[in-house]
Amino acid sequence: MIEFQGVSKTFAGRTAVQALAEVDLSIRDGEFVALLGPSGCGKSTLLNLLAGFEPLSEGHLTFAGQEVRRPGPDRAVVFQEASLFPWLTVWDNVTFGPRVQRRSRAEYEERTREMLRLVGLEAFRDALPAQLSGGMRQRVGIARALVMNPRALLMDEPFGALDAQTRLAMQQLLLDVWQTLGIAVLFVTHDIDEAVLLADRICVMSARPGRITREIQVELPRPRSIDNLITPEFTAYKAMIMAEMKLAHGTH
Amino acid sequence: MAQAELLQAGQSASASKPARPASARPAAARGAAAFLTGTGGGRAVLAVILPLLVLVLWQLAGRGTGSLFGGVLPTPDRVWAAWEVWAFGKSGLGLNPYSGTWLANVLFSAQRVAQGFALATLVGIPLGILIGWNRLAAGSFDPLIQVLRPIPITAWLPFAIAVFGIQSMGAVFLIALGAFYPIVINTTAGARGVEKNWIRAALMMGARPSDILLRVVLPASLPSVFTGLRIGLGIGWTAVIVAEMVAVKSGLGYVLWDAYYIGRMDVVIADMASIGLLGFLSDRLILLLEHWVLGWRRLQSFQN
Repeated sequence: MIEFQGVSKTFAGRTAVQALAEVDLSIRDGEFVALLGPSGCGKSTLLNLLAGFEPLSEGHLTFAGQEVRRPGPDRAVVFQEASLFPWLTVWDNVTFGPRVQRRSRAEYEERTREMLRLVGLEAFRDALPAQLSGGMRQRVGIARALVMNPRALLMDEPFGALDAQTRLAMQQLLLDVWQTLGIAVLFVTHDIDEAVLLADRICVMSARPGRITREIQVELPRPRSIDNLITPEFTAYKAMIMAEMKLAHGTH
Repeated sequence: MAQAELLQAGQSASASKPARPASARPAAARGAAAFLTGTGGGRAVLAVILPLLVLVLWQLAGRGTGSLFGGVLPTPDRVWAAWEVWAFGKSGLGLNPYSGTWLANVLFSAQRVAQGFALATLVGIPLGILIGWNRLAAGSFDPLIQVLRPIPITAWLPFAIAVFGIQSMGAVFLIALGAFYPIVINTTAGARGVEKNWIRAALMMGARPSDILLRVVLPASLPSVFTGLRIGLGIGWTAVIVAEMVAVKSGLGYVLWDAYYIGRMDVVIADMASIGLLGFLSDRLILLLEHWVLGWRRLQSFQN
C-alpha cells in the first residue's frame, strides 16, 4: 500500500545535506514496520516525506496508489512530543480533525468517545494538555490520530520522551490498539527493544547518507505483550540487530 | 468558611499583622484589593505602604505654606480639595472653570483612547497575523512599518491637526497610530513563533489555510498579542494626553495644560493622578481579559 521507490531527499542550504539516498521500501496494508537507527540517519525525514510534510528530491512515493503530495488524514501522524494544541481540551484536541473536515457532530462523537475509551482517557475529556502527564498527552495524540480512521499511522519516536515505566505501558497500549484496529503503522525509533517488541518488520538504517541497510522480519507470535521482552527468542532478535547496527556503524 | 480563614491567618503567622485586618474586612473588599494589586491580601497591604509614606512625607514637608518648591507643588490635601471641586463642584458657575467637569473630561479622554485603541486592535491583530504567516504580506508591509515606526507620535501632531483640525478625530488618529505599532509587531512575533508541529498536526488532520490561521496561528499568537495590547494601551494614554494638550479642547490632557497656564498646580497634580488611575484601571481590564482568555497558558506555566 505504501511504496518508496528510489526516494532521495537533499536539504538545500549553504552546504546541501543528503538526508536520504535511494530508499526502497514497501509496506503492506495492516503491517507494522519499525524504522530503527541512530539519530541523524534520516528515519524521521523518511516519515515526514510519507506524511507529506516535506517534498522528496528524487524518486517516487505512493500511498494507496496515489503520489504523496501533501499531508492528509489518511496518514495520521503521532508526534514525538504529542504536539497537542495547549489551548484546547482533550475532547477538542481529539475532535479537531473531524471538525476541520466539516464532519457532523453525530458522525464523530461516538467514535471520539470510543477512541478515548480505547486509550483510557474517557474521564479526562475536559482536561487541558497541561493538566496531563507526558504519557497521557501521548495517548491523546494517538486518539487524535485514530479518530480520523486513517489507513496508516505514522509515529515519530512517540515514546522517546517518556520514562521507562510509562514507555512500557504505552507500548502495551499500542500493541492492544493495533491488534484491535489492524492498520498499517510506520514507527520511527532508536530503541531496539521497542522495535522488536512492536514490529512485524524492522528496517535498520544508517546515516550519511541515510539508507536502509537491512530489513529484518520479526517472527515473534502475535498477540504480543511486554512480557515478550524477556523471552530467549526476543533476546536472539535483539542480539542480531545489535550486531547489524555495529556493522553498519563500522563501515562509516 | 470562617474557620478556614482563621486557619489561613494562623498559617501566615509571620505576616499576622497584614493578615488580621485583611480577614476582618468583608471577602468582596479583599477580593477587590487583591484584584487591583494582582496579589494576595498580605502583599496588597505591603504594596500600599510605600505610596502612603510618600504622601505623608509630602504633606509634612509642605506644612505651613501648603506647598513645596516655592508654591509649585501643592500638598496632597490641597490637591484632594481641588479634585473634589473639580469632580463634584457646581459647573458653569464662579471663577473656577473646571468645577464639576472631571467626569466629563475623563469620559472624553477615555472614549478617545477606547476608539483609537479599538482601531489599532482591529487593524493591528489581523495585519500582524498576516505578516507573521504570509511571506508576501511580510515583504510588503513589514518594511513600511519599520520605516514609519521611528517617527514619534508627537511628530505626527501637526499632520494630525492639519488633516483633522482641532477635533477628536485627530486625537483618535494619534492614539490609534501609537498603539498600532506594538500591537502589530508583537502579533507578528507571535504568529512567527508558532510551533511547526502544530501547523503540521493541523495539516495532517485536514485543516484548510483558513482553519490554520483562525484555529492554530491566532490562538497560538494570543500570548504575544496581549503583550502588544498592554504596551499599546500605555502608548494610547500617552498619545491622548499629548493630543489633547495641543489638538483638542477637552479631556484630561487639555485640562492639564490649561490648568498649568493659569497656575492651578493643584488641578495639574489632580489631573496627573487621574490619568495614572485611568491608565492603571484600563491595564487591569486587559489583564482580566487575558486571565480569562489565556487560562490554558497560566496552567502551563504553573506546571513547568
